[in-house]
Amino acid sequence: MTTPTTVHAATEALASHAGRARAGGTDVVALAHARRVEGPFVDLHRLTELRGISRRPDGSTLVGATTTIAEVAADATLRAHYPALVATAGALATPQIRAVATVGGNLLQRNRCSYYRNPAFSCLQSGGDTCPAREGEHQHAAVIDQGPCVAPHPSSMAVALLAHEASAHLADGGSVPVAELYDGTDPTRDHQLSPGRLVTGIELPPPVPGEAAAHHRATARSRAEWPLVEAVARLSISDGVISGAVVAVGAVARSPVRLTEVEDALVNSPVSDGPPPAALAGITGLCSPLPGNGYKVELLRATVTEVLERALRQD
Amino acid sequence: MDIVVNDTATEVSTDPDTTAVEVVREDLALTGTKLSCGTGVCGACTVLVDGSPTASCLLPATALEGRTVTTVEGLGGSHPAQRAFAAHDALQCGYCTPGFVVEAAAFVDRWRAEHGDVAPDRAAIADAMAGHLCRCGAYEGIYAAVAAACRGEHDTEPEHAPPRAEAMSKVTGEATYTTDVHPDGCQFGVIVRSTAAHARVRAVDGGGSPLVDLLPDDRTVRYVGQPVAAVVAPTRAKALAAAEAVTVDYETLPAVLDPESAREDGAPVVYPSKRERRSAPSSAEGATVPGSWSGNLRRSTLGSWRSATATRRLRAAAERDDPNLVTAEFSTGIQLHNAMEPHGCVARWDERGQLHLRTSTQTVGVLAREAAKRWGLSPQQVHVVAEHVGGGFGAKSGLTTETVAAVELARKTGTPVRVVLDRAEELTDTGNRPGTRTRLSLLATPSGDLAALGMDVHAEGGVSISSVAALLARLFYGTAPRRLRDIDVTTNHPPGVPFRGPGAAPMLWALEQGVDEIAHRRGEDPIELRRRWDGNPKRHALYDWAAALPVWLERPTAGSATGRFRRGVGVAAANWHYMANPGTEVEVTLDRGTVVARTGTQDIGTGARSVVTNVLAEELGLPVERVRVEVGHSATVHGPPSFGSQTTTSIGPAASDAARGLRAALRERVPETPPEGPVPPEALERAEGMRVVGKRHRDRRGYLTPFTVGDGFALGRGLSGAVHVTEVEVDTRLGRVRPTRVWAGVAAGRVYAPRLARNQCEGGVVQGVGYALYEERRADPATGTVLTDNMEDYRIPGIGDTPETVVHFHEGGWDHVRGGGVGLGEVSTIGVAASIGNAVFNATGWRPRDLPIRPDRVLKGLGS
Repeated sequence: MTTPTTVHAATEALASHAGRARAGGTDVVALAHARRVEGPFVDLHRLTELRGISRRPDGSTLVGATTTIAEVAADATLRAHYPALVATAGALATPQIRAVATVGGNLLQRNRCSYYRNPAFSCLQSGGDTCPAREGEHQHAAVIDQGPCVAPHPSSMAVALLAHEASAHLADGGSVPVAELYDGTDPTRDHQLSPGRLVTGIELPPPVPGEAAAHHRATARSRAEWPLVEAVARLSISDGVISGAVVAVGAVARSPVRLTEVEDALVNSPVSDGPPPAALAGITGLCSPLPGNGYKVELLRATVTEVLERALRQD
Repeated sequence: MDIVVNDTATEVSTDPDTTAVEVVREDLALTGTKLSCGTGVCGACTVLVDGSPTASCLLPATALEGRTVTTVEGLGGSHPAQRAFAAHDALQCGYCTPGFVVEAAAFVDRWRAEHGDVAPDRAAIADAMAGHLCRCGAYEGIYAAVAAACRGEHDTEPEHAPPRAEAMSKVTGEATYTTDVHPDGCQFGVIVRSTAAHARVRAVDGGGSPLVDLLPDDRTVRYVGQPVAAVVAPTRAKALAAAEAVTVDYETLPAVLDPESAREDGAPVVYPSKRERRSAPSSAEGATVPGSWSGNLRRSTLGSWRSATATRRLRAAAERDDPNLVTAEFSTGIQLHNAMEPHGCVARWDERGQLHLRTSTQTVGVLAREAAKRWGLSPQQVHVVAEHVGGGFGAKSGLTTETVAAVELARKTGTPVRVVLDRAEELTDTGNRPGTRTRLSLLATPSGDLAALGMDVHAEGGVSISSVAALLARLFYGTAPRRLRDIDVTTNHPPGVPFRGPGAAPMLWALEQGVDEIAHRRGEDPIELRRRWDGNPKRHALYDWAAALPVWLERPTAGSATGRFRRGVGVAAANWHYMANPGTEVEVTLDRGTVVARTGTQDIGTGARSVVTNVLAEELGLPVERVRVEVGHSATVHGPPSFGSQTTTSIGPAASDAARGLRAALRERVPETPPEGPVPPEALERAEGMRVVGKRHRDRRGYLTPFTVGDGFALGRGLSGAVHVTEVEVDTRLGRVRPTRVWAGVAAGRVYAPRLARNQCEGGVVQGVGYALYEERRADPATGTVLTDNMEDYRIPGIGDTPETVVHFHEGGWDHVRGGGVGLGEVSTIGVAASIGNAVFNATGWRPRDLPIRPDRVLKGLGS
């Protein structure tokens, strides 16, 4: 194990030891207990240069990769400009997890499928050749079928950042749109970052003035539960008409998903009528439920309706 | 590396795989911090890192370098949050309490700095405490405690002792649980479990490690997770590695993994022979009920009454399409006990060949007797200690696997051995409340009396048998004819064991919704209908109370609500046996002016210490500081197990008798002792060493059972009762049911420790909410492996899911019982789910039939 204090040293360590990056540890430690990962670890908690939120001259905002979820949830500037991102951060996990879990770690965490997390099973994510969830227990599985694995993507922050068209800065100087961090057709991993590459921060494009945004996490209990469905909407409104719309959803597919058909159908709709049902009609066609998760089709429609209504109410 | 822990600079060495909780609990021996779920869900391991509450079970120890850490011990016992938790009885078993207290301390300080001394609302408290789970469900007390601490009400030393005798030791982390015990030279045992759902074990190879066998005589495993063997090593990590190295040679047998195929002709049979059937474990309290086997099914009609008449009436009503006949099928999920403290035992054989067990148990006495029998000792040669027990709910009774493994390993190695289950083991193989599928037929006469009741309950208890759900319908609504059939459907899944009100919770889910449906069809008030069907005067008092509640008087007409959020109110009634443990004794001795009381019971969070403390202090006119109660030791006079709602009604009267005996003995030794009123402390001091034993004398008219059954309990005369009135709000868009307010009326006679009794009833509501809305064990259909073996996937209610709860006690009607009061632990929870079901029907016009009432079921039900 190494505990580098500079990004340079961290990337060196990742390259030379083939070590695994560990920031807050809330996922890596759990995976180690489930025997899904093993060290050596490259601990990132001393990379203070990656921690913090800064507004940049061009109006964009950079959120350092080791900034904690709690810091995002409590940041007044982010709250003013990216309210759905702040709401997403404040609703995920628990206060004690948010206190140490990082933005980078949240984006790169592994999925929560019981078959992947249980060492008794072998699946596509753990080197096996089948998905036991498809024929087995899949109440919480992906309902938008993108490939052989049906574990929904676990990152709530990814949904919000996808909605904000954010991009990830990498230690090697590169930059990847958040959308391209994920490939739902790949059944073997939860993100596409190659080993040894390190996310240093997230760039949020300049805020859109007058935008209305909302986030909702559909769960059975009131708090502290992985979502059945999650959605973020951003709406721009001019002269009582929706002039721009972004809708991103989570917990329904192998990757966070933008509902572009819904977005297109929303544009030019009058605000006063609420979300037009026609705009949501396309959701059913996107879904191909398994025998045990058909409810997610309706719940997805309901959750998207919820965030659209809330965003419209703010106008 | 250097860290500052509780204001002391400390150096610890650690490796990268170590977690912060291991450093705190094992290296620094600060065992106030608990490890419960191990996956960052429950919050029991919460510590402050640089002042910020953090889950230490997922925190790499290396992240602590250069930081300051505050554990519960570092709060010192005088933080307003700690005092408030004690004063408001915001705890029961206490295992989750250190985590809650640490979080609350940080929150209260922050809140007061930002807002001044005003109380936050419930939502703000729920947000702050969202990362903590309490299985006892002491959330109402936690709301009250946090609010009071924020108001600045606990800044000074309290004037009164807290209502719970051991409260301060639990809020400071001083209370020692089995998981906190590490004697010198202790080794760690780990259980090797079956990976096959059904197999004959041909051989077990320990891979060089010492190994003890845990297989049954027929060398057959019948579910994934069944214990096969146990291994031991000087550290837990080494023991886990040794367990990995064990190879088990299975001769795989066909398995039956769902109740539907278990019924089919030609299905694999879990217990093919008479001899094997006799070995099947029971999920019932007390004796196994008689039943007749056919394949995987076992039927019992015990409890039926004029069964042929019931059948004839029900059949005729069905033929004529009688509108007063309700027939419906209901189902319930499998519920897991999930106590916050896992099962654990530290076993040691001494040089005299006597056995010392430190065990997390609800039954110190029974365990000592069973252990003595198993290892050929006299009960006096087995010393069981369970000083504090982090919850049980039925799953920690008698001789359980971790204790067998620890004892056998300790004998093999000659050292103390500790076996503590991890959460996956806890949620797989420590018992469950079997799932059920119930066919209910309920017939009223045209004038609205009960004409007949039919109930077939198919119980899904895995390899266990003896479901008594239908049987318990015998306790309801008079003597109308009834045909009650319990059918065990055995499969290759882990066995059920008794769980708080075994049988009654699923039975009432069906029966009390059926009664509601009859009332609805007849256009009658459901409370009035119950009043007519139920002749019991104690429950009549509860019906009077419930019927007068404003929330009841103003309830909506079923299905009349419109709009997205629909509010509804439902009611359900419950009965439970009154059981007592007639051999119970309480011994009191005088020790330097203090009355020390002992009895062979234990406190699993239900308040046994406080009951005895209150009785002695009241009868002797002493301040509670002059009474000390020691429970959790088998080596004393006989006391009751903590199940069957028998503890309080057994120890309370015995403590009274001891107090009377002590006063009489004092009057002989110290003639100034008054015949009644306060005993002067000098009298206690002058009679140093005096010992008196009080007995739990027989009830007037005795018991229904002529002799004690099972573990020494007797079925007493009368039934305790409860009525729950529940308000819910149904979000018809997102399918969520939110219980908002509950009124819990309980008729169990005299209440010995009022705040604690209320706490237990509030917790009964919370567990009922979990059963109704969230909790469900799920297993892989192909292998039978339990998938909900962690607290993320097995979902218990959090503080934000807790309805505002009002508890009402009706204390009359138990004059024939010694002490005038009976148990309430079970009756206070079993009807809650049905009251929620009826409230959902009232809100939406849709009657949920299947538990839990998940969002997908609500959406489907409202859509159809």
